[in-house]
Amino acid sequence: MTKYWRQVFDIRTGEAGRAFSMAAYLLLVLFAYYILKPVSRALFLARFDIDRVPYLHILIALVGGIFATYYSKAAAKWSLRAAVTWTTAAAIGCLILFWWILQMKIPWMLYVFNIWASLFGVVTVAQGWLVAANVFDARAAKRLYGLVGLGAVVGAWAGSGFTAFMVKHLAPATLLLVCATLMLLAYGAFRIAIAQKGVSLAGVRAEASGGEAESFTARGMVRDIVHTRHLQVIILIVLITFLVDVMVEYQLQAAAKIEYGDDASGITRFMGGYFLWQNLATFFLQLFLTSVMVRAFGVGGTLLVMPVSIGLASLGALFLSGIYAAALVRMVEASSRYSFNRAGMELLYLPLPTELRNRTKAFVDIAFDRAGRGIGGMALVGLTWLGVGPKQLPLVVAALCAVWVVLARLAHREYARTIRRRLERRRLDLIDARVAVSDPATLRFLEETARGPAAPQAIYALSLLAESPGYELEPLLRSLAASAPPPVVAKAFEVAHRAGIGSLVREAEQQVERGEEAAVRAAAWYATLHAEDRRAAGARWLRHPNPLAVEGALEGLGETPELAQDLITVEWLTALAGAPDPGKRRLAAFALGIRGDQGTELLRRLLEDSHPRVLEAACAAAGKLKNRVYLPALLTLLANWRQRAAALAALTAYGVRIAGTLGDILQDDTAPPSLRRQIPRVLRSIREQRSVDVLLASIGDRDVSVRAAVLRALNRLREDAPHLDFGPQFVTRQILEEARHFCQLHAVLAPLGKDDAHRAVRLLRRTLEERTQRTVERLFRLLGLRYPPQDIYAAYRSVVRQSPEDVAAAVEFLEGVLDRPLRRVVVPILEPAANPAEKAKELFGIEYPSPAEALRELVRSKDPWLVACTIAAAGEAGLKALAPEIREAQRSAGAEVGAVARTALAALA
Amino acid sequence: MAERNLVEKVIALEAVELLRSLSPDQLARVASIAQEVHFPPGKVIFEAGKDVDALYVVLDGSVAVSRGGEVLAHAQQNEVIGAWALFDDEPMQVTATAAEDVRVLKISRSDFYELLADNIEIAAGIFSTLVKRFRKLVEG
Repeated sequence: MTKYWRQVFDIRTGEAGRAFSMAAYLLLVLFAYYILKPVSRALFLARFDIDRVPYLHILIALVGGIFATYYSKAAAKWSLRAAVTWTTAAAIGCLILFWWILQMKIPWMLYVFNIWASLFGVVTVAQGWLVAANVFDARAAKRLYGLVGLGAVVGAWAGSGFTAFMVKHLAPATLLLVCATLMLLAYGAFRIAIAQKGVSLAGVRAEASGGEAESFTARGMVRDIVHTRHLQVIILIVLITFLVDVMVEYQLQAAAKIEYGDDASGITRFMGGYFLWQNLATFFLQLFLTSVMVRAFGVGGTLLVMPVSIGLASLGALFLSGIYAAALVRMVEASSRYSFNRAGMELLYLPLPTELRNRTKAFVDIAFDRAGRGIGGMALVGLTWLGVGPKQLPLVVAALCAVWVVLARLAHREYARTIRRRLERRRLDLIDARVAVSDPATLRFLEETARGPAAPQAIYALSLLAESPGYELEPLLRSLAASAPPPVVAKAFEVAHRAGIGSLVREAEQQVERGEEAAVRAAAWYATLHAEDRRAAGARWLRHPNPLAVEGALEGLGETPELAQDLITVEWLTALAGAPDPGKRRLAAFALGIRGDQGTELLRRLLEDSHPRVLEAACAAAGKLKNRVYLPALLTLLANWRQRAAALAALTAYGVRIAGTLGDILQDDTAPPSLRRQIPRVLRSIREQRSVDVLLASIGDRDVSVRAAVLRALNRLREDAPHLDFGPQFVTRQILEEARHFCQLHAVLAPLGKDDAHRAVRLLRRTLEERTQRTVERLFRLLGLRYPPQDIYAAYRSVVRQSPEDVAAAVEFLEGVLDRPLRRVVVPILEPAANPAEKAKELFGIEYPSPAEALRELVRSKDPWLVACTIAAAGEAGLKALAPEIREAQRSAGAEVGAVARTALAALA
Repeated sequence: MAERNLVEKVIALEAVELLRSLSPDQLARVASIAQEVHFPPGKVIFEAGKDVDALYVVLDGSVAVSRGGEVLAHAQQNEVIGAWALFDDEPMQVTATAAEDVRVLKISRSDFYELLADNIEIAAGIFSTLVKRFRKLVEG
């Protein structure tokens, strides 16, 4: 059975757990919601006259809008896991509470209950999809959203069917307890989903737009809308969709009221039954017709389905009155909204820049959905006042649908215009979008661009087409492989291989012989991989005079290791490695990376080559083979700036197995600082706990430049791999150490005064001030290992700006965030009005020295530049009392300090 | 005259506009690759049309900067000549000649690049100065 689902939905190894638990989660949430929906509507209709319904819509829109604003702000601060936990707990609590209160028959509670039920639907369903978006990456989402969506549809269908059946046996309010139980089960499914291997919600916020939510401003949103015509059209369509939704729902509710009067169970049964059929219709449309419609008629055609079908159904309803006619119109409206219209609207957002889309989509979807419903409610009040009743309403709906058709046409034009503009700028971000492109007009346009003369745009369009499911790539690739500009040819072979198209060998062979530099390598690679006789093809291309063809063939052989062993012989390698031409030696290094170094010592020799390109290829080969014998050579190259990038990449490729060796060098005082400073750069790319442990062991290194490099690496790891353990106690100790260092620097800096007459004294003061700033930077970097890095960085920027308001704001923030032991030390030393001398004494027992004592302390320090600078300052200021310390430094420090000491002693003599 | 020590070199380099945003520690690293050179009056420091691979900071004396025999300017104490030679290997457009006894700090391009590669913050500081200068030119 699982195998069947795996095949139907293309579930890959390791994905089944999360796919099925996410489907179960949404199924249970929708199950609960579709019990709540008919029950809340029925209880309201049974108790009140139909003319109260518009006011309920207005209230839902108003309260929903206010709630959405506060929820967005709160959710931006919560983690997604916490938000789901608390939302579920609150929902279960409220359901039990409503079950109890509704039995008291308090009329106004029905308003509260209906508003709450509407919020429940919005929040829990949106959260469900947000969890799904973080459980799957964009590519997995394209394959698995079908299964997850199926869970949601089945849940909605089961919920409404269950309600229609059970209301015969239970009072409507009692069904709320069933909802509470379902929510508890849904939470269980959620925990199972996030406990799956490879799923991490750490750092994921409960607001869809993530970090953007924090920078949300009404002015920014208005600016986006005013400047983006495309967005304006989307908003108009959202508004009219929900305006019509309210009117059509009102017609159904009015018909139900006429039919069942005050019979709450009767209305619940009818509504449950109605939702059952509506969900079945939606399921059918979604599964069988929506993607066909999108493929056949594109965005424009899909967007037209809803207004045209509602318009026609409404005109029909003018002649067929009664509850079934109203239910039919409502079913057409709701099922086309959840299928065609949703697909069309998702596609409509697609060409917008990703940042703009992230920033505005959630806001537009929620705020304008509410606004549309509110306007709908007000329109109903107005129409009732004008004497337009449920019987005439279909005419109004049909008129609105006519306007909607115009808007849909406009939206399609705008969509095409935006796609064209963004494709020209290569800024069309369809790959990361969670829906696939199958709109025929877009596909045609992408094809034209792929065949066009501008290579960058053509490559871009080709990569987008390759991502489009169901698109027939071969004819396009064949024509591009034969006669496109060389970079496009290369891309065509790459795309063909990835898509499993192996029929372009003849075109590839022709391209190799044509010899166009940008295409040869990819063509030889493809021709080797897809030739009928790979051995013959590989041997043929390895003998080719064009080194690019040889390289391509080698790359192709890399995918068939046994063939590579046979064809890349030691004799062939030895001949290339010994050739005077660096291009050939480079090929030898490349081939060693493909074949392996068995039976040859050539790579060791190539890692000592004099030519940078040979060294680069040799590093890459060593990184592929991960043989520890090459480590000394790679570390030597790491210290050399010309080969550093290649050596860094190779060492990173070795992975965590060399973390210990790297740690030994990092801690070795005798190793050159230029090499030690590079080690953290390797470790930060190896995102494993061992890297963090090795770096933490050097967090207090005596060399500040090494210390700074270690901290930068730890900060990067914290951002890239927040799940790793950064040893909070250890980091806390180091923060306190840096705070002490800050106070010590202040203590020696203060006695130097503001004297600018002595240049060496001024230089010393500048040095100490700069050291103080670096200490503050390290302090904040350490704080970033314990607290949210983004927030700590923002606080650091405020402190660095040095304006009193900014510093005060940062201090206030830290006061609220830091744990007590850190707050006690960090906050006072950063406070703008703080008295540093008093604080230093109070916190660390540091006394402020006299100027001579301060300089004496510095001369005795182990920092050569600080010693040199202090000696020069002492000489310039005529501090004869320091002569013994200066003589001592002249004897014990290096040549450069010695020269400074000589000059100072001469001045003091 | 004795050669300047490290601190004196740093004090001289502090006045160089190109290096203005560097910290004293960073300047000390630049100073460690700077070599003090003496030119007697009339000695050509670099010649128009020829490659130059170093930057010179005038410590003492005056350097005449000329094109086609015409003196365009005199570089005095703490002024830099050949700054662009650090970034560009095109031949110089002008000739620099010692107008009197001149002492300069010479920073060679290859040493400078090696220093930048190991001290990216120095490169960032120099970029920042260049960008400020460029912005000033653009914004008038």
